Amino acid sequence: MNVLIVEDNKELAVEVYDFLCNAGYICKIANNCADALEEFGSNDYDAMLLDLGLPDGDGFEVLQTIRKTKSKIAVIVLTARGELDDRINGLHLGADDYLTKPFALTELGARLFAVIRRIHGFTLNNLSIHGFLLQLQDYKVSFDEIPLSLTKKEFDIFQYLVLNKNRVITRLQLTEHIWGDILEVNSDSNFIDVHVRNLRKKLDKHTSIDWFETVRNVGYRINE
Amino acid sequence: MKIKHQLAIFNAMTRLLVILVLWLMLPILVENVVYHHINNSLLEKKKKFIEHLNQEEINDFMENQDDSTQTFSEFSTLHSEFLVLSKMPIKPHQKKTTFTNEYRKIENEESEYRILQHHFTYGGEDYQLEIGSSLSEVNDLTFVIRLFIIIVFVVILFITFLADTFYIEYLLKPFYKIIDTKIRRVNEPETFDHTPIKATSRDFRELDFVLNQMMDRITEVFKKEKQFISNVSHELLTPIALLKNKLENLLQNQSLDDNAVDKIAGSLKTLDMLKKIINNLLLISRIDNNQYELNEEINLREIVSDLQEDLQDRIEDKDIQFMNEMENDFVFIGNKTLVHILIYNLVTNAIKYNKPKGGIIIEDGFADEHYYISVKDSGIGMDESQLEKIFTRFARISSDQEGQGLGLAIAQSIASFHHIQIKVKSVLNQGTTFTLLFEKAN
Repeated sequence: MNVLIVEDNKELAVEVYDFLCNAGYICKIANNCADALEEFGSNDYDAMLLDLGLPDGDGFEVLQTIRKTKSKIAVIVLTARGELDDRINGLHLGADDYLTKPFALTELGARLFAVIRRIHGFTLNNLSIHGFLLQLQDYKVSFDEIPLSLTKKEFDIFQYLVLNKNRVITRLQLTEHIWGDILEVNSDSNFIDVHVRNLRKKLDKHTSIDWFETVRNVGYRINE
Repeated sequence: MKIKHQLAIFNAMTRLLVILVLWLMLPILVENVVYHHINNSLLEKKKKFIEHLNQEEINDFMENQDDSTQTFSEFSTLHSEFLVLSKMPIKPHQKKTTFTNEYRKIENEESEYRILQHHFTYGGEDYQLEIGSSLSEVNDLTFVIRLFIIIVFVVILFITFLADTFYIEYLLKPFYKIIDTKIRRVNEPETFDHTPIKATSRDFRELDFVLNQMMDRITEVFKKEKQFISNVSHELLTPIALLKNKLENLLQNQSLDDNAVDKIAGSLKTLDMLKKIINNLLLISRIDNNQYELNEEINLREIVSDLQEDLQDRIEDKDIQFMNEMENDFVFIGNKTLVHILIYNLVTNAIKYNKPKGGIIIEDGFADEHYYISVKDSGIGMDESQLEKIFTRFARISSDQEGQGLGLAIAQSIASFHHIQIKVKSVLNQGTTFTLLFEKAN
């Protein structure tokens, strides 16, 4: 899967690049509008991560140009401009998703996966891990065809960890994924632990889950 | 009180004063004129009488003597005039002719007369001649004049008051137009109307002109401010994103020892806090700059039940009894996202500062022209000094609590943006009640 990262902050671009490469994507970086359009014209990309504030113009301009072609490329706008107007404008202009800075890389990974799956009509609606099957569209989980009853939050946590398997996911990342970018400044909550504890109890009934690891003081990891 | 009313009232007061003075003065003037007239006619009568005077006539008068001093000789009808000639020694230095107002009883009827007294000597004898003219008609006349004046003046007062009011209203029309269509819009420079106001007075045209100029400057500043906020967010959030992503990638390194992992996790937490503070400050400044639209229909009951679902895990975690006792489907126009944040902040505070196994009651209703919704908790409460600073940015009521003290500052900004009043009541160790008062008309 090819991803074009359009970001003028080179360091940030490299971090995203590393993350996506580790997740199995093939990535390229463009630092400005002109490079981005050139790359887009000469190579076939599945997805583009587009920053809005670029040195030679507005990311929206790139987006408009891309949407004039018949490319099925998935575009996720990455920006610090979190205002509703900008979001609406971005989605109107044809962005598939919108992520405000600073974002968690894992969140980006999950969204990228969802967008690509949607655009290419993949049948990748099911994820499987150690005998558990997650049906992403129906929010259903089963083990050896025995359905598990998970709450919406438990399902979200499980899905997020599975999508980011083999990575440590911090409590903050999980919190943001479950509750969104809530404005509450009280970030150090242990509510996520309660949900994870319940989730683990439910999974544990079916099989040993020593692959569902608690990383001390940090968060959780599901190992494949 | 509006300037037009003040002007109209002032005009009416001064007119009333003039009328009062005139009303008191006019009878005196009238009396003077009338007395002058009567005096002249009395003098004429006296002159005629003296001219034709002879002994025979004197005797004629004296024959009808009633008592020792007075002789009535001639009356006009209805006792309006009389003439008396009597013998009376002339005192030295006495004026020859004097005018007095006196009450006289003529044929058993007493009334006031204007009396001319004339002393003269005829044939070696001193005489006093009195010619009287009744004043009752004059008094009647004065009364009629007073009545007439008061009626005329009241009518004039009424007419001029109306005329004044309408004219002042007409004159001040541009002024009120400037207030309604211009000054009230100062908070929304984008929607400011630059078309000049039509005004007959130069003052208002000037005011309008200066106001337009001022608005241009404000709009310019406002644009710059918006641009600044956008730049700040971009400039600060991009490096935070970079740090965050770097640390997240670093965390995946299997060779890290526990100590390093702890430090990275701690740094991520700090970054997250920094990000939230920036986002919150940006939110406050955007609200204060009216960068949100108020055009969504908001059902508060829906928002509260959504919140309850969202926060269920926290409510259960503290074993709090959450009672949603809202009964009204009050709908108002505003920004849904912001109102959601406002109520979210109040409810999470009620959870955060509650005691385990405490309670939260959300009620609504109508009182004093307002719709209200109140969030009542049975938490730790606050004392007076804490209450004073809860809406101040970065003020925390106790140092051991989490958070940066922006939640209520945001609530306050959102509330004032929507013209919602926030009232707080709190008793230490018993709980706090936040009440939001909405304009009913909304």
